[in-house]
Amino acid sequence: MSTLQTRHESQTSPPSGPPARRRRTRGKVAARTSWSLGLLALPAVVFFLIFNYLPMAGLVVAFKEFDVNLGIFGSPWNGLENFAYFLESGDAARILFNTLFLNVLFLGATLAAGIILAIMLNEIRGTFFKRASQSVVFFPYFVSPVVISIILQVLLAGASGGGGAVNDAMAGFGLPTVDWYTEPGPWPWILTVVKIWQLGGYLSVIFLAAITGIPEEVYEAGMIDGASRAQMAWRITLPLLKPTAAVLLVLGVGRIFYGDFGTIYAIIGDNGTLFENTDVIDTYVFRALRQLGDFGTTAAIGLFQSIVGFVLVVIAVLIQRKYSKETSIL
Amino acid sequence: MSSRKLEPFTVVSIIGVGLAVLGCAVPFWMIISGSFTSESELATTGYSLFPADFDLTAYKMIFTGPAVLDAYLASVFITVVGTALSLAATSGLSWVIARRVPGISRPLTIFSYLPMLFSGGLVPLYLLVTQYLHLQNSYFSVILPLLVMPFMVFVQVSAFRQLPESIFESAKIDGAGELRMFFTIALPLSKPILAVVGLFYAVHYWNDWFMALLFIDDVHKFPLPLVLQNLISNISFTAMLPQLAESATPVYQLRLALTTVAIGPILLAYPFAQRYFVKGITLGATKG
Repeated sequence: MSTLQTRHESQTSPPSGPPARRRRTRGKVAARTSWSLGLLALPAVVFFLIFNYLPMAGLVVAFKEFDVNLGIFGSPWNGLENFAYFLESGDAARILFNTLFLNVLFLGATLAAGIILAIMLNEIRGTFFKRASQSVVFFPYFVSPVVISIILQVLLAGASGGGGAVNDAMAGFGLPTVDWYTEPGPWPWILTVVKIWQLGGYLSVIFLAAITGIPEEVYEAGMIDGASRAQMAWRITLPLLKPTAAVLLVLGVGRIFYGDFGTIYAIIGDNGTLFENTDVIDTYVFRALRQLGDFGTTAAIGLFQSIVGFVLVVIAVLIQRKYSKETSIL
Repeated sequence: MSSRKLEPFTVVSIIGVGLAVLGCAVPFWMIISGSFTSESELATTGYSLFPADFDLTAYKMIFTGPAVLDAYLASVFITVVGTALSLAATSGLSWVIARRVPGISRPLTIFSYLPMLFSGGLVPLYLLVTQYLHLQNSYFSVILPLLVMPFMVFVQVSAFRQLPESIFESAKIDGAGELRMFFTIALPLSKPILAVVGLFYAVHYWNDWFMALLFIDDVHKFPLPLVLQNLISNISFTAMLPQLAESATPVYQLRLALTTVAIGPILLAYPFAQRYFVKGITLGATKG
């Protein structure tokens, strides 16, 4: 580590004393520097080792018949049995489909909502109204999934069975009411609306920051050419938001195999009637772990999830890199 | 600019933003308003936009019994201790990365960002905390797994790198070591960004219920979100059995009141903290 450090030092401190002695002090300074830097980084490094890297090693449990008494490394191997068990269980196809389908839906919908909201916010010139609305739409991001779940109940169920604000509104328009919590069909869309509500404002803050970075001259040129505000939004702002969107997309693709456990489990819980359309890998794993205590199979699913997720990220990064080198995240 | 007349697109935008604002604000209003509405009224309408009579039954139950107070204290402990530890660990690591020390900073960057892309998943973490660290029913089982968020390292590193290099060079000439530079120069100069990172962690800890769900079984030790989760987890039954809401305890009003109590601190701090959040996200998104 000390090459640059030492070179740097020899520039700032005047040469003095015999060469041998100088080198020794320099070595001491470098040692002290690395020692204190190490001390600063230590807590976080230990954290990552224990809570992130150690569990990766713990994934070997996916290839074992886990026995609590024998521990992870003492339990006997059973090859690919855990994987086979999961794939033959009949649940695999459904939850894999749900995971992919829901996450693609969430990712596309939230990014689109964030971009649209940012462009609309950018149109507003009154500083107070703009700031105030940005604050309000950003707020749901800071709310616990449990709270979101309660809000959804108020809207969809009310206190009495078929009630709820949405049903009342639908009745007002002469539409039939729906018993939402026993009807799996609409749930992918309900969850998508929830994700938009939760993340739209947050993403709009990111995109608005990117819009602010667009030089004013571009818009002036557009104005001279007689472009309307709508044309400028469509032909200038939108294309210039692409790099930001691409980075967020790549990060999102990496998470595609992780089913956003928090929000989905908080809302659906153990309501089995809705599993058909809402059960994703994470919720399935959690239930298997909690109810069946089946560590081997759940770890096998987790390993599968991590590997596919990692491959997806690498592919996404490579594709993004090919198209825009300067904004690549890696 | 301000003198131009309103174009259709601007009008559409204002309406669109207005609708988004309503969509985000009204649900919270319904929760808060509902928490002041009597259980009998809630049972007939299901929700309320304006309480007909101002009813405080649920709040009285919450603030007279010890259960919710305990949950509140648990959440406060997790949030305060967790945020302090997270800030210490994150800023220390970020400083070492930000210093661009050859042979250390770059590997350390990869080391801390890799967990964003690849993780061991739920099972090994569960086994680690319960079988090896034996942290069940300790609040540290909630704090430690969330200690350092890679994105916050991202934010903090880019903030440290914006500090003028010349200060540290002259400090070095004056004989200051890395620790001294960190504690007496870098940290005091980074107070705004420490506020940003600290607030993010605080919200994270305050809202967390997943770690608590995994590792805390003792009802008396439940933090606030888990108490809430416990109250709602039988929604399907409540929805199917409307007469349940008529019983002695105002189940439904209690839920809404607890929700209000849970989002209360965030709601109160938000007007002051909001600009810090925007700043943090912008920094993380544009300087990464």
